[in-house]
Amino acid sequence: MRSKKIITTVAALTLIASLTACGNDAGSGAEAGADYPSEDMDWTIAFGAGGGNDIMARTMVDIINQYEMYPENISLENREGGSGATGWGYLFSKAGSGYDVSTTSGSFITTPLQSDTGWTFEDFTPIGLFATDDAVFVVPEGSEYETWEDWVSYAQEQETVVVGGIGTVNVDLILHELIAEASGYEIDYVPFNEEGQLQTSLLSGALDAIVSNTGSVLGQIEADEMTPLLFTGAERLDVLPDVPTGEEKGIEDLPAMPRGMILPPDAPAEAKEWWITTMKEVVETPEWKEYVASNYLTENIKWDQEFFDSLRETTDSFEATLEEAGAL
Amino acid sequence: MDVFNNLAGGIVSILTLQNILLLGAGVTLGMIVGVMPGLGPSAGLAILLPLTFGLDPTGAIVMMAAVYYGSMYGGTITSVLINTPGESATVASTFDGYPLAKQGRAGPALIMAAIASFIAGTIGAVLISFFAPSVASVARTFGPPELFLIVVVGLLTLIVIVGKNRLLGVISALIGFALATVGIDVGIGAQRYTFGSTELINGIDFIPVAIGLFGVGEILHAMWRGGHLEKLDYQKISLRGKGFWPTRADFKESNGAMLRGSFLGFFTGTAPGAGATVASLMSYNVEKSISKTPERFGKGAMAGLAGPEAANNGASAGAMVPLLTLGIPGSSSTAVLLAAFLMWGLQPGPLLMEQNPEFAWGLIASMYLGNVMLLLINIFMIPTFANVARVPFRVLAPVIILICALGTYTIHGSILEVWIMLACGVLGFFMRRYGFSPAALVIALVLGPLAEETLRQTMIISGGSFGIFFERATSMWLLAVMVALIAVPLLSPWIRRIVNVRVRDVGRRRREQQRAEERKDVNS
Repeated sequence: MRSKKIITTVAALTLIASLTACGNDAGSGAEAGADYPSEDMDWTIAFGAGGGNDIMARTMVDIINQYEMYPENISLENREGGSGATGWGYLFSKAGSGYDVSTTSGSFITTPLQSDTGWTFEDFTPIGLFATDDAVFVVPEGSEYETWEDWVSYAQEQETVVVGGIGTVNVDLILHELIAEASGYEIDYVPFNEEGQLQTSLLSGALDAIVSNTGSVLGQIEADEMTPLLFTGAERLDVLPDVPTGEEKGIEDLPAMPRGMILPPDAPAEAKEWWITTMKEVVETPEWKEYVASNYLTENIKWDQEFFDSLRETTDSFEATLEEAGAL
Repeated sequence: MDVFNNLAGGIVSILTLQNILLLGAGVTLGMIVGVMPGLGPSAGLAILLPLTFGLDPTGAIVMMAAVYYGSMYGGTITSVLINTPGESATVASTFDGYPLAKQGRAGPALIMAAIASFIAGTIGAVLISFFAPSVASVARTFGPPELFLIVVVGLLTLIVIVGKNRLLGVISALIGFALATVGIDVGIGAQRYTFGSTELINGIDFIPVAIGLFGVGEILHAMWRGGHLEKLDYQKISLRGKGFWPTRADFKESNGAMLRGSFLGFFTGTAPGAGATVASLMSYNVEKSISKTPERFGKGAMAGLAGPEAANNGASAGAMVPLLTLGIPGSSSTAVLLAAFLMWGLQPGPLLMEQNPEFAWGLIASMYLGNVMLLLINIFMIPTFANVARVPFRVLAPVIILICALGTYTIHGSILEVWIMLACGVLGFFMRRYGFSPAALVIALVLGPLAEETLRQTMIISGGSFGIFFERATSMWLLAVMVALIAVPLLSPWIRRIVNVRVRDVGRRRREQQRAEERKDVNS
């Protein structure tokens, strides 16, 4: 009864507003009523073209357009800069709007940890988590260790082993710290800015081991240039059936990068519901399954508040590990 | 000859009407993107990447290669005409390219740059075909210590750039190094000088700084000189005009520079990191050191443009080696190409060439054809571009400042960077006015973060010991090259003097002997 009244009031107000505005297209999503969606969608990609986040967002929009799920236009904008701070900062400024949306990746957690962005993930409106990015732990081919156990006993004999990954306040450092702690060896972590330099450094013999995305190192593994020893996901990968997971080796709760979707803070309930319903359909399409498989992502679906609950857990463990490592 | 068959096969498989049209379109589009200050090859590739989704992988790669070369050449056009490098690899092209344009020789300068790029591209394609596997085995020995040494070799250019005004030059470079420290420190992830701004997290990009210092700074300086009042007397530039083609003297001066630049560029380009930038600066350095007329460098020496142009093109061919043979991107442009490979369903890695030979050779062939197309299209387009130099300065100046602002905004859509660009314009004016070196500042800003990052990585790996540079074979070689690069210009006057003294001594002794014999003759 009450909600019906609100809708009638909102509808009446919208009518009045549109009459008085008269040709002034305010376009504010806060007015989104029961007829959601009725405006163009502004889709923020917080990273540059060609990156992982960009490809995921474009795949989603392709699927939505192909199945004609969204009745109006969706415009994709790359708002890159500040490791995602610019794009998500833009979305943050659109509080109350139902016509702005963005996709998340690892920086959604780590960027607010390392700099004063003015927002954390909890400020936004959750839609859902769809998949996670896990990592492979690789050593150069021809090292004397061929199994995880060999590596651990080698590493324990050394004073420290030199390992590498991308960035400092990033999941790579956290993975190395957690793995080394659980296995009882000491590391020196070398941060890199680019995947290419990270991989050549391993091949040149400057590093003992690195962690990297499956897609980036699979070619090296197939060519017998690098040996995979551990996979950080919950289950073994189809393409690397012989590589054990962290859990099998007694290393629990390894974090993964969340690939999900968010709306601005205080987005209207209709918008949130509409997107949850729609994304439930998107993740069932063969095109989405194909994307997850060809990018070696792990399907991991959580809707609404459950998505943010898992982010909370990840953030807490990140903060604790990074503080211990002296990176924060 | 297997390699020739492969390369020829690659070229033939590409020569369809559709692909030739794609090549032409790609080169032209790339050039248009590249002419915007700030948008270089990597931005060009990223912007035009979605266009290739509808194409088959070969058609797509043909177009991407064309865009790559087109946008690279576009950067050269702005470096020469309005003193504004579109990306770090064409900074060295402003040193002599812009003075040439100021002398009314924009046409010959642009043609020479296109020829240098073409020659380097040709040499690069041949070198890839023959040496890719062996070069790759060297490239894979490059860890942080080797990269650090390569960057240091690039920094040696500062000595040449700074020239006579040592104190002001060193201050300029130090300002560059200081600006380079802004952003997240790669070592421990701490923020430096960001003052809480999220836009500064990734540091100060060199592009707005270079656009401001070179482009806007030059305009302000010209206005201060009263350039807007001058009546310009540029010659008309047309394909048949005498002033359009480089003269025989230009070629004679540049031949050696182009060859040296091509090889230098190719081999430097195979090292992941700052390949093309370091290569072009090294080439400038080498050409000035061995030139008989080093005083003409910076005032419009053709060799000072041809060498770096050949080197940056050679480097982009060289960067394909680790991409194709190791599956490792060596530059931001090849990283975009790598992402494109994945999108077309190709698995980059050491097996790419074995598993998809027709694709890999198609890429090499289309790079080569891209160069040919670039040369052809350019010879027809250069008169149009070069005529920019005939537009009266009072009209051109505001237009350039507007383009600079627009170009800067397009890169990241950041207003802050536009302000940085304008502030650097004012800074550039005063630097020029009082004899500082904007070029040294930009070089320090580009190479500073790389030097810091690789040195810190090296120190973590070695546990703080500098001995690591003497323990690895490749770094020993690089150290030897560096010693040679420093020693040759320093020692050459000394060696010359020794030789001169010897020759003089020999002559004197001979004369004395003669005299003695003459005396003997008289006495007897």
